[in-house]
Amino acid sequence: MNFDDAVRLTEILLGFAFAQQSIEHFTRFANERHLFIPRFVLAILLMIGFQTTWVAILLFLLGLAMLHRFQGPYNGGSDRMSLLILFCLCLVYIAPTQRWQEMAFGYLALQLVFSYFFSGWVKIINPEWRSGRALCDVFQFSTYPVSESLRQWSKSSRILFVMAWGVMIFELIFPLLLLSRISLIIALIIAASFHFANACLFGLNRFFWIWIAAYPSILWFQSRFIMVG
Amino acid sequence: MRHILKLLLPAVIPSWRFFDVIAPSPRLQFALLHSATVSSGEKSEWREFRPRPAHLSFLQMLGRMFWNPERNESLFLISCAERILQQPTQHSEDEILKRIIAELKANHAGLTGNATHLQFRLLLVQRQDSRLQQQIVFHSRIQPLSAQEKT
Repeated sequence: MNFDDAVRLTEILLGFAFAQQSIEHFTRFANERHLFIPRFVLAILLMIGFQTTWVAILLFLLGLAMLHRFQGPYNGGSDRMSLLILFCLCLVYIAPTQRWQEMAFGYLALQLVFSYFFSGWVKIINPEWRSGRALCDVFQFSTYPVSESLRQWSKSSRILFVMAWGVMIFELIFPLLLLSRISLIIALIIAASFHFANACLFGLNRFFWIWIAAYPSILWFQSRFIMVG
Repeated sequence: MRHILKLLLPAVIPSWRFFDVIAPSPRLQFALLHSATVSSGEKSEWREFRPRPAHLSFLQMLGRMFWNPERNESLFLISCAERILQQPTQHSEDEILKRIIAELKANHAGLTGNATHLQFRLLLVQRQDSRLQQQIVFHSRIQPLSAQEKT
């Protein structure tokens, strides 16, 4: 994937994710609508590619206003990834040379790799994750399961043990999967499925849409820096 | 400005520590009070705010991929609860009270009856060996139900 196509695809996916998030706030409080109706309009403009530099800068400023309004992210990691993608896009637009543009977009790609690798690392150094106990706890008493019936999964300790190790190994080997095009594509399909499962089981739908918005950066990064020649 | 930068920094230089430790988990409960009993502190029963459904079908889960406002708001309220437990702030308490009141008015008008005030409390659920334990860790101020949304 070339640089321009990757940036354009990121704009479209990011615009869609922001539009989806923003609509959810339309029926809420007036002081939220003041932020999310303009955000929705800007997200549509970003998707259609209208004045993307100014639109991304305005979206970033709105992101700062949201941080102030909610005294932090509204939805933790997904809001942080949103700001990270916007931050990198803004740097791409204002960078004076192609080299600096690539560094800004490459930073997003590296952070995407880190988002999997370090999530795996912090789990595998925890004995509770290695024994499968931590994943049982997620289902047994954390706030995440979307229904009471899912709490029953905590009793399937063998299955959760296998799932925990599957997640940890996948997250840890993610950087190695950049070494070939086919392994990266398979890795991204598995990763997107993982986010989809998290969205279904834990209600984390915003993570799914925003993480896939960062995928074009890694596809470009691989073809630019790893698959040279 | 410095405060905003402090909030922005974890986004542009993230640590990516998802689910590293499964910490004790907060639960949000509320109680309704009547004007005559506000001073005595006598409350109706404590109710869980937005209890999760017994079961969700795959189709419902799929629908929530595109439309999930209540769940995302509940996740925000859990963040507010965690902020209160780490370092209590007026903002987090206000957000929780405001959103419980809005939910009661919008979807549970019959529940409020003659109630005039509301209070919430936070419980921490954690596993001790193989058993789950609950501990009450915070009581909010008592808030009139007529409190208007700040715009």
